Amino acid sequence: MVAPFYQDHFFFEHGSFNNDMLKIRGKDKEGKWFAAPNNQFKFLDERERGNWLSYLQLCLRLSRAVRRLHAAGLAHSDLSYKNVLLSPTTGQVCIIDVDGLVVPERFPPEVVGTPDFIAPEVVASSHLEKTDPNRALPSITTDRHALAVMIYTLLLLRHPLRGRKVHAEDPGEDERLTMGREALFIEHPADASNRLSPAEAKPTELPWKDPEALPYTITGPYLKELFDRAFMEGLQAPRKRPSADEWEAALIKTVDLIQPCQNNDCAQGWYVFANTTAPQCPFCATPYTGELPILNLYSQRGDSFRPDNHRLMVYSNQSLFAWHVDRTITPNERLAVDQRSRVGYFVQHQGRWFLVNERMPALRNAQTGEDLPIGSQIELKEGLQLITGKDPGSRLFHVQMVNG
Amino acid sequence: MRRLPVYLVLDKSYSMSGEPINAVNQGLQSLVDMLRQDPHALETVYLSVIEFSSEPIQTIPLTDLMTFQTPAIKPDGMTGLGAALMLTAERIKAEVKQTTADTKGDWRPLVFVFTDGAATDDMSKGIAAIKGVSLAKLIGCAAGKDADVEDLKSFATDVVQLDSNSAESIRAFFAWVSASVSMTSQNIEGGGGDAGGELPPPPKEIQVINLSKD
Repeated sequence: MVAPFYQDHFFFEHGSFNNDMLKIRGKDKEGKWFAAPNNQFKFLDERERGNWLSYLQLCLRLSRAVRRLHAAGLAHSDLSYKNVLLSPTTGQVCIIDVDGLVVPERFPPEVVGTPDFIAPEVVASSHLEKTDPNRALPSITTDRHALAVMIYTLLLLRHPLRGRKVHAEDPGEDERLTMGREALFIEHPADASNRLSPAEAKPTELPWKDPEALPYTITGPYLKELFDRAFMEGLQAPRKRPSADEWEAALIKTVDLIQPCQNNDCAQGWYVFANTTAPQCPFCATPYTGELPILNLYSQRGDSFRPDNHRLMVYSNQSLFAWHVDRTITPNERLAVDQRSRVGYFVQHQGRWFLVNERMPALRNAQTGEDLPIGSQIELKEGLQLITGKDPGSRLFHVQMVNG
Repeated sequence: MRRLPVYLVLDKSYSMSGEPINAVNQGLQSLVDMLRQDPHALETVYLSVIEFSSEPIQTIPLTDLMTFQTPAIKPDGMTGLGAALMLTAERIKAEVKQTTADTKGDWRPLVFVFTDGAATDDMSKGIAAIKGVSLAKLIGCAAGKDADVEDLKSFATDVVQLDSNSAESIRAFFAWVSASVSMTSQNIEGGGGDAGGELPPPPKEIQVINLSKD
């Protein structure tokens, strides 16, 4: 028997606004506190909130935890913001209440799950007997639905299926259809009937409860693709749902797309940089001004370098890591200790951008063949190509300069 | 966003004077404090207080948890339970949003009726009125030996009884109401459907009366 024990950062240090008016100091940081605009922005003390980058990190750690659970063949079966403790200020996640753990063919599911996170096929068949072959029960594929909902909710502070569409007059029946048989993504591009209506939201819930103002595409191309699979195909076809592994990989790449907001008062602080004609922060609408280097990552397949569908948006003091310079390295729990510290960083000096080489012994300029030894500073210019090493997984960086 | 409306219908007749009414006032305050610590309840729960003695009065209209200001209830008069039910039905009709073809309404309300006596008015009209509104649950609470359990049985979906109307029992009752509301706010959205689900087990001071019609 192991008694549960959580680290200090899973308990509120400052609690709620106005010197902890709600008296939650010392209580555990149930995920729900961070998953709704009013809870997060009106009620919590500012020091408990974290910024948008912290939420990406929370989602990344959550995906990693679920990936490991699933890799062991286990399903949590009740993933929800009630059963995860979140620490936005440190980016840490702790999954709790694993009492519903499902081991296929050994421990059958006992719980149906928590509202908001139950997969549509489970809701739609919940009226059937447990022994009925048509009854869907919690499993790894239903965990995948819960994970997708949680990531969407933590990044956008609204539920992907709770829109305006009314399915029945009785609230209970309407709920069963909304979350079950008739489940429809609120941002479905071809079917607008379940769009959230911003007119029904409280002013403090905006822009979050207005998908026109803050569409899910602000989470970047990698997450958008997975949300499309989870909430369009995957609602009716559980096998199409992205795995925890895919979420983890997409989140890792999304972290590299992020830029600090140039407005110091922006509550979110960070956003996914969209390479458009007039890039701006989607949360506070502050435009991006200045020159921004983008590194497009390539790696060798046979004789040629091919795009890895991975880019790095550079900002001042940003670090370059082992997983950027070598395709075969993934930032996860298996990372060796020496792979955890940076190999270089970026800095802007008098309007010019530089990469400082700290730990890349074989870095060289691909066009001139010039070696760029440790300690050197390489100015980033449009079209520059750098090769990071001599290993099979070594990367080629193709530099692009964008003006905001 | 569907709201979960909760109506607290509280007896303030003379028999509640002194310790019992103080306990009700404190119980209400701690109920609100407890619900404010629940992020699910903060999002969905709306509270209303209807006090009754010879006449009923809605002291607090349906209000969100953060705006809610705990009233100071003072004892007076008789136990006009029938009129209190009439007013509750009226207020629910006026305040709870019904679903229409293009807007989602509120969840069905939870109603708690708390009394320590027997009704001194004619209850038939009140019972008819409250049965005419759609509720998730109507929980009757008989506080102490003088409370008329039969009165409550004639309209409630669930009836509980307190050993006495002592401060301790009343506090335990409000703590249980808070737990019930919290639990409902987390589960209503569930595949199970509606606010008509189970309530948490009551503490030892509260006894659940079997309502099965024999």
